[in-house]
Amino acid sequence: MIRILIVDDHPAMRAGLIAVLRAEPGFVPLDAAHSDRDLWPMLNRTRPDVVVLDYHLPGDDGLVLCRRIKRQMPAPAVLLYSAHADAGLTIPARLAGVDGLVSKSAPANELYDAIRRVARGERVLPPISRELLDDAGNRLKSDELPILGMTIEDTPLLDIAATLGVAPAEVAHRIDRMIKRLKLEIPAPRSAG
Amino acid sequence: MTSRWMTLLLMTRLLAAAVAVLLLLVHRVTPDDPVLIGAGVAYTAGSLLVLTTVPRLQLSPAAWLVDGAAALALVVASGDWRSPFYVLMLTALILPATSLPFRRALGWGLAFTLAYLGVAVSTDLDADVLESTIRVETIATHLMVPLVVVLALAYAADVLDRLRDERLRSERLAVESERQRIAWELHDSAKQRVHAAHLVLSALQNQVDGPEAQLVSHALTELRAAGADMDTSVAELRTPLEGRSVQRLLEERAAELAPVSEAQINVQGTVGELPAHIAAHIYRIGAEALTNAVRHGEAEHVDVMLARNGSTATIEVRDDGRGLPAIRRPGSNGLRSMRARADTIGATLSLGPGDGGRGTSVVLSWPTDSDGGSSHA
Repeated sequence: MIRILIVDDHPAMRAGLIAVLRAEPGFVPLDAAHSDRDLWPMLNRTRPDVVVLDYHLPGDDGLVLCRRIKRQMPAPAVLLYSAHADAGLTIPARLAGVDGLVSKSAPANELYDAIRRVARGERVLPPISRELLDDAGNRLKSDELPILGMTIEDTPLLDIAATLGVAPAEVAHRIDRMIKRLKLEIPAPRSAG
Repeated sequence: MTSRWMTLLLMTRLLAAAVAVLLLLVHRVTPDDPVLIGAGVAYTAGSLLVLTTVPRLQLSPAAWLVDGAAALALVVASGDWRSPFYVLMLTALILPATSLPFRRALGWGLAFTLAYLGVAVSTDLDADVLESTIRVETIATHLMVPLVVVLALAYAADVLDRLRDERLRSERLAVESERQRIAWELHDSAKQRVHAAHLVLSALQNQVDGPEAQLVSHALTELRAAGADMDTSVAELRTPLEGRSVQRLLEERAAELAPVSEAQINVQGTVGELPAHIAAHIYRIGAEALTNAVRHGEAEHVDVMLARNGSTATIEVRDDGRGLPAIRRPGSNGLRSMRARADTIGATLSLGPGDGGRGTSVVLSWPTDSDGGSSHA
């Protein structure tokens, strides 16, 4: 049984997700938050296995929320559920500790599958291609690149801090800054819709 | 704006001509009064007729020059700088003063005043005149008036132009904010409902089979197409294509990508005129294919080929990169939205390996009718 918490700012999407997840055997949708404000009490009350998290939210976006959710002990798996789940989001999602990325236009099966896999501790993210890395490398400062490399290789935060010889809080702060810089739209296409 | 000043010219010149004719009739200025009346009437009628029938000349400096010269010639012909044609002559300043930028208009007025001074000197301005205070005042006034007229008109025209620009700008801003609001509603509300409906319906897909499964799958296709229509509308509202051709837009997109791409991008051919709705979808599919080729393909060359062959139009985006991934990238949204867009306009999208099995080729083709649009629309 997988216990799931939903975060989405649109009522139709919250209702749809709850209905769909309730209908699937093995899933228990616990509650649905519409922003970060009602998320924290719910998170503490329900202790979910998986959080299905919208990317575009009023206030802080899904990546920022994910960072904070992942600071919980024990942290639930986080599935970023976005209308714009394209490859450009992969590296910032990885830095933010997102376990899975699913497009809102994907059929329910894909969502079920992703939820089961992240609940098992697997990662459901697009592979990080050389282009994505090059692009990220161009937009990050040179002292941030080791953090990116170690994060991609799943080095724990404390080890990264030890390797770089800085405080863990400083590493966390740098990661926040890197996410902010990377999630800016990649060469903003005219077709960005 | 010109037509307003043309009306002013028409009215003042007719009035000034009438005054000149009356003065000549009543005062008998020279022995050749009938000839002068004829010349004045001919100048007035001829100039107004030409300027109204050939509106292009209203903005032509050469025409202003001829007009001004003819008006000065009338003054010369009347033999005195205090001519009955003086006011008529001033009307030749209206068009340049209101059409030229402010400073140039003043320059024109100054040049005209100097020309008038020349005329005055050549006619009756002599030491005699300059000894009499009243006469000096008169010549000074006569010299000042053209400058004042030009200054006032140029100032008025400048203010009116600014007002018009300001109004256009605020209208544009109003339209722009309305567009943003509609885009926001489409994207943040209607689109979310479509996503929710798609999700709920797709959950049903596993639980039915046979004809019902087909119905569900049909409804899902429609919902995806609705989502794609909304995406295109949102994109149109945010950055309208404004009737530019698909080829031109793809060239612009290629130029946008050039700085972030190591690939050589080449756009060629044309698909001709398309209805706006079709063109918007076609462009966005093409742009997505181009972006994918540049972003994920590790290509050295990307060719975008547009063609129209009888009743079919095609766009092919071909790269020599690493080709399609064996398994679809999870969460990849681009291809799904390309297919949905193709569905909504009745186009076919096919993906495959490029020439000799290298790279990727994306071909979009759609039927066109004689109007150039998709016959589906």
